[in-house]
Amino acid sequence: MSHQSGTFPAPCGQKACQVLKDRNICIQVLVMIQHLQRRVDEHLKQLPTTRQRLHLAKQKQAQSTHEQEALLDHLIRQMVNFLKSRATGGLEQQVSLLSLECRGNVRSAQRAQSSRQPGQLVLQWSDIEPAFVSHDLSNRGSEICVLYHSSFQDYNAYQGDKYQEDKNTLGFINLGTSENKLCIDLITERLGQSDMNCIEDVLLQYPDWRGQPFLREEVARFLTYYCKAPAQLDPENVVVLNGCCSVFSALAMVLCDPGEAFLVPTPFYGGFAFSSHLYAKVELLPVHLESKITEANTHPFQLTVDKLEHTLLQARFMDKKVRGLVLTNPQNPLGDVYSRESLKEYLEFAKRNDLHVIIDEIYMLSVFDESITFHSVLSMERLPDPNRTHVIWGTSKDFGISGFRFGALYTHSKEVASAVGSFGYLHSISGITQHKLCQLLRDREWIDTIYLPTNHFRLQKAHAYITNTLQSLRIPFLCRGSGLYIWINLKKYLNPCTFEEERLLHRRFLDNKLMLSCGKAYMCKEPGWFRLVFADRPLRLKLAILRFCEVLEEQKQDWKEKQLADAMKE
Amino acid sequence: MSTLAQTESGTPTTCAGPASTQDLGSSYGDCLQGECSRKPDQKLPELHGVGDPVMFSSNSSYLSSRGRMIKWFWDSAEEGYRTYHMDEYDEDKNPSGIINLGTSENKLCFDLLSRRLTQPDMQWVEPSLLQYPDWRGHLFLREEVAKFLSFYCKSPAPLKPENVVVLNGCASLFSALATVLCEAGEAFLIPTPYYGAITQHVHLYGNVRLAYVYLDSKVTGTDTRPFQLTVEKLEMALQEATSKGVKVKGLILINPQNPLGDVYAPGELQEYLVFAKRYWLHVVVDEVYMLSVFEKAVGYRSVLSLERLPDPQRTHVMWGASKDFGMSGLRFGTLYTENPDVATAVASLCRYHGLSGLVQYQMAQLLRDRDWINQVYLPENLARLKAAHTYVSEELRALGVPFLSGGAGFFIWVDLRKYLPEATFEEELLLWRRFLDKKVLLSFGKAFECKEPGWFRLVFSDKAHRLRLGMQRVRQVLEEKAQVAEDPPPCQTQEPSDQRR
Repeated sequence: MSHQSGTFPAPCGQKACQVLKDRNICIQVLVMIQHLQRRVDEHLKQLPTTRQRLHLAKQKQAQSTHEQEALLDHLIRQMVNFLKSRATGGLEQQVSLLSLECRGNVRSAQRAQSSRQPGQLVLQWSDIEPAFVSHDLSNRGSEICVLYHSSFQDYNAYQGDKYQEDKNTLGFINLGTSENKLCIDLITERLGQSDMNCIEDVLLQYPDWRGQPFLREEVARFLTYYCKAPAQLDPENVVVLNGCCSVFSALAMVLCDPGEAFLVPTPFYGGFAFSSHLYAKVELLPVHLESKITEANTHPFQLTVDKLEHTLLQARFMDKKVRGLVLTNPQNPLGDVYSRESLKEYLEFAKRNDLHVIIDEIYMLSVFDESITFHSVLSMERLPDPNRTHVIWGTSKDFGISGFRFGALYTHSKEVASAVGSFGYLHSISGITQHKLCQLLRDREWIDTIYLPTNHFRLQKAHAYITNTLQSLRIPFLCRGSGLYIWINLKKYLNPCTFEEERLLHRRFLDNKLMLSCGKAYMCKEPGWFRLVFADRPLRLKLAILRFCEVLEEQKQDWKEKQLADAMKE
Repeated sequence: MSTLAQTESGTPTTCAGPASTQDLGSSYGDCLQGECSRKPDQKLPELHGVGDPVMFSSNSSYLSSRGRMIKWFWDSAEEGYRTYHMDEYDEDKNPSGIINLGTSENKLCFDLLSRRLTQPDMQWVEPSLLQYPDWRGHLFLREEVAKFLSFYCKSPAPLKPENVVVLNGCASLFSALATVLCEAGEAFLIPTPYYGAITQHVHLYGNVRLAYVYLDSKVTGTDTRPFQLTVEKLEMALQEATSKGVKVKGLILINPQNPLGDVYAPGELQEYLVFAKRYWLHVVVDEVYMLSVFEKAVGYRSVLSLERLPDPQRTHVMWGASKDFGMSGLRFGTLYTENPDVATAVASLCRYHGLSGLVQYQMAQLLRDRDWINQVYLPENLARLKAAHTYVSEELRALGVPFLSGGAGFFIWVDLRKYLPEATFEEELLLWRRFLDKKVLLSFGKAFECKEPGWFRLVFSDKAHRLRLGMQRVRQVLEEKAQVAEDPPPCQTQEPSDQRR
């Protein structure tokens, strides 16, 4: 076989050779950039430290970082242009993704430097680079890395530096991730009871991949009761996987072919974009909603059938095949609950257009304002198109156990259930966990008399604390009675009101060890919105608000200084 | 020498070309549901059907074309599994039900496991276990896995927790590795017979295919034993795949081997790794049976024990609790790779393949308990495996049935070629069906892509009473068959020359 060995391992075809060649060029450019960075860092380190020279050095530093940024931007742009002209699709996409990311990092690195941490620039680059130049990953593997990195960078930073009352008081407080941390005491106590610790042989053996029958039966009973279904739900229509994102990913796989799309009203939970793209390569087409109240909009960010029709028409015009509509109810990040009538309208719109409806009701038991009635889609007397209506629910939010990894699908379509079920062995849940979940869902008495009332009471209190604070700060927000978060408007702190400024403000929160989510992550059309999660313990919440106010104060101060400087110039 | 398992279906709507449909059918046959076999009379729809809405249109209007294909393969596989599940053997309730000697599960040590898992240290609940985790796996578990593998794989230097990624089972791990190492349509080399479920694992999300390295039972040339893997065969398979325009990205090795129950000698392993390095191939080594080597004389060596790996950046090892700890329902699988890019890329997918925090905690407790593992669990487990193996091999010998078994794993690779009137896979399926009619479930060779019809995998790691009953039923079928075929068919004479036990 030796005659083969000379040519074999190289990727066959000219295209592939080109990719390799271009990759090499990329590497060279990256090496150059790194070299430059190192020089700058050395330069910074050598800066004189005496007080008199410090002022001068500061100016120099600012200047040099500015030059540096310009240079890097220039280089990256050149690189992108070069690749655009020559490289193949996959790589090009990566690079453009990367370039966005890099530029972000260059800027944040600049800030890091001005707060005298010269090491950071190189460090951040080295975080990105391996994912990009790796010869060991496929293109899609590299893309997954870059995408993941860009989406979860902050989250990873938080995982490594969490605030802890006694051990790490300077750590991150996370009001960005939607987790309910208010009832951990109740859950811990319940999970510690002896009925949770049963070990049977069926739990340790290969399961039914759609979920153990005992759990699917319990889920069906649970949803029948809490969704107020007119008739008993069927366990055969239930599929149980390790989390709602897995359910969504599998649904995208079996409902769409690659390149097809779902409609989704924005702002929406950004995880959907990740889940539909990562494996399934399904696109999300935003139905943009606006905060302004007009004749058609009776409340901010109102979803109307007109807007749905409009987006669908646009999609058809662009020759995009739309397969479904994704709704979240209660809405995330708005906290809205759809009325029965609007829900019906949306479903009828979908039916008219042969669209599936995926409806995520993961916050259905987190409606803490008693005056609000939540209507599950499963409560409807007659669904317009039952075989195309697919409901997702899980315990992550309503029971505050995101670490359990449990998500359930309920669909009337046996076909969809069985197709999603074929992904079961890639998204399966441990039998032991299935037993615990079953015990938890079965304990109606505990849920109704202890857990839910306490949880709602604590959510109300935390919500009231935050909304009062926001009011006193004169920060506009949507006051809703469901979910774990508040959608707040920080437009007035942005000058100018752009997504770039939004990003900078977000960064500033992070620099002050406070995690919030910015509107851009929800594909919100208007800059300046943030999602603030309030379902945390009072102590952390208080500290978080302190940090929050500090940042806004800084931001205001900066603005004033800038105005002053501008005025002086004139 | 090699055949491609699947057609390329990277393009959006057309998923399979006509030429490949037969391959698709055969490779999907078994193993989907806890590796059970497909109903033999299940036939693929006509060629152009796969991916063509017209062919799948009968009440299938709710799924996309790939969704229809996924469902079709699933349903056809589930058929056989359903037969078993509708009529599962139960000592008291259903004594005439089906005995499952087809699924590779260790049911011998449930008593030890349940005792250990119900001890108070297993019931720990704390907030961090209930919240979103580090997607690579909790650090405490990754540390424990690194220590565990260092010890049991006899690694020359301590293994590092940052090279460990934890997922919900090895199926997920195959899927994730295929996705991040290959583009859609690219392939892994795999020696056959092999654990057939891998076909589905790498295809479902990853759209990656397998290029087979066919091995023969006949000992020829430089081979010293049946189904021997050699570098020459690897070279040929690689060459053939390439000549068909298929890009091969890696090699999958299962060690101890499934279904052969054999282990690779360290020298051989080294050769395969050097071969892979020569062609820039990744090597995925599935060592999920590494602690189930019950024959003391067998010198098993983990790839992690090698003093110097030829290409450490492209060598990825997987292990899990399904086999060695008999807990396939726990869903624990782990990757060890020195390549940080691969670890990060797999971890990026872990949002979708995560494991409950409480189970991660229990797993760490179990792996940490070296006393229990070394003094209670392993000795007892290996003794029970050996006893069960001895019983089944005695039975087979009494029946005059040739078989292969290398002292590892839960199964014996049985040569029933002489019971086939004709050496075809149709006859193999008929025989398999005959077993099922007699209420014993085995796995047939085609499900492992064995090139020669007539091989079956028989799992022996079950409780004595079930095993005895199962073997009785096997004996019944074979004796009946022998009576029917009074004139011995010509293929009967061909037997593996080296019968290992």
